[in-house]
Amino acid sequence: MTKKTPVKGIVEKLVFVAVVLAAWEIVARAHVFGARSEIIFPRLETIARAFVKNFVMGYAGVSLWVYLLNSMKLLLEGMVLGILLAFVFSGLCMVSHGFHNVYSLVVAVADLLPGVALLPVVIIIFGVNPGVIVFLVVHSVIWPMSRNLIDGFKSVPKLYVEAGRNLGLSGAGMLFDVYFPAAMSYILSGLKVGWARAWRGLISAEMIFGIAAAPGIGMYINQMRTNMNNAEMYATLVVIIIIGLVVQYGILNPIEKHTVVKWGMRKL
Amino acid sequence: MKKLLTALLIAALLCAVPALAEGAHLTVAYQYGLAYAPVVVAMNEGFIEKAYDGDLEVEWVQMSSGADINTGVMSGSVDVGFMGVGPAITGISKNVGYKIFTNLSGQEHGLMSNDDSINTLEDIVGSENQVALVNIGSIQHIILAKCLSDNGYDAHALDANLVAMKHPDGMNALMTGSLPLHLTTSPYIFRERESEGLHEIEALKAAWPKENSFIVGVAAIDLHDNRPELYKALCDGLTEAIEYVNGNIEATAALTSQYDGNSVEDEIRYLGMGSYSAETQGIEDMARFMYDNAFIEADPGAYADLVFDNVKGN
Repeated sequence: MTKKTPVKGIVEKLVFVAVVLAAWEIVARAHVFGARSEIIFPRLETIARAFVKNFVMGYAGVSLWVYLLNSMKLLLEGMVLGILLAFVFSGLCMVSHGFHNVYSLVVAVADLLPGVALLPVVIIIFGVNPGVIVFLVVHSVIWPMSRNLIDGFKSVPKLYVEAGRNLGLSGAGMLFDVYFPAAMSYILSGLKVGWARAWRGLISAEMIFGIAAAPGIGMYINQMRTNMNNAEMYATLVVIIIIGLVVQYGILNPIEKHTVVKWGMRKL
Repeated sequence: MKKLLTALLIAALLCAVPALAEGAHLTVAYQYGLAYAPVVVAMNEGFIEKAYDGDLEVEWVQMSSGADINTGVMSGSVDVGFMGVGPAITGISKNVGYKIFTNLSGQEHGLMSNDDSINTLEDIVGSENQVALVNIGSIQHIILAKCLSDNGYDAHALDANLVAMKHPDGMNALMTGSLPLHLTTSPYIFRERESEGLHEIEALKAAWPKENSFIVGVAAIDLHDNRPELYKALCDGLTEAIEYVNGNIEATAALTSQYDGNSVEDEIRYLGMGSYSAETQGIEDMARFMYDNAFIEADPGAYADLVFDNVKGN
């Protein structure tokens, strides 16, 4: 067996993408969905044109950039807040048994509730403003992140904890110098799940709750659906995929490479 | 004996298969609420099946938006749909492959406020007051645009003030003071009018009165052209259902209240406030307004391009 090189990995991925795109084009050209197939299942060229049109013309004179930037801003706010809170609460779980008991119940219950089902209650509490979306992003990040953090902290070998104590560490010192580095692998898994859940949570919330003064990408998708602009809708999904890939390969993977992989805790 | 039974069974199966294939099938998509009362009646009373000379199986599908129904019709999985006049005109202008085969209902619309300082359009245009309505580009949005245009404002003057929320969420937000204005329709508008502390912005009432088309039925052009008997049964069944609603409000209310969660008394009142007719009203004006104000990109054409030739109205 030959050793896998990064180049080979990239080639494999590109071949896969090419096959998927070719399959899409064949289905589109075959007019599988009848006479109006081109509207519901457009060809790649139509989607590519719509991709450009989204950014150049947008909807009602507002470019997709504006929608995208609004969404990314809310997403970032929600994610930072959600991750911070997850760290604080999971850290407290390691310090206090009583808090751990209550918080694990809260995580078990809250993680099951779909954010959009909470929308009416959230609107009553927060009013009608972009804060509602930030809340829903926090909701989608904090619970899976907390689960991973608590599992990660629990799986830290007793030996490390005792070594830390012998070195005179306690409280915050134990958390930052022993628990966090030892649980890094779990923390990164939590980040990946949290990021994906936050993205989806944001878009589904924006699709049913749209503030025209701060329009988001979910609202844009909904708009394209309402106006039967399916090619533009698919092109927007492509934008979401591209952002997902940039975050995965541009941010999360490098972090992984420079921490857990470098430390020999996990293979990339 | 066993062989004979097996042979008979196989023969029976062979006969049954073509019989099943021969029976006609129709998929009808509709949505929630009292505006769809005649559809619920037609479904429960089997009016379309009764109007058809032969075996007919009607499959009823409840969907949550006109956009979903449009996709269903385009992919050939839905033959008939009921939706707001806005999405129907959008679908026709996009060449989805259907036309309007009947009007279904008209309903009252209203713009309600919880803020005493907001009484006219002038108090809203240019302000930061938010207006909740069901969706950007929805029929409610178009009615608001028409109201603005009728009163000398730009049709899109309030676009930046809009907040898209489902009717019940919008009602909650208005009643709890989360936002100052809600544009809604039956039955929410009746509940809001009865609520203390809320008042109506009168200008909106005239923009699209309840006699005008609000919900229409669309049928695939393929159904109309290639299965004329089935198309006729569909039209006859729906006309009968509309007559039934107008002539038997109490029986209709007893039926629809099971789906809406309203009391029968409220349902009778709400049904009485709606307008149920097979004749369209105002759809050509609506289509023209949508095209002139960039709610649709393609010219939807004249009345004859929007409806099948059996439909009466304007």
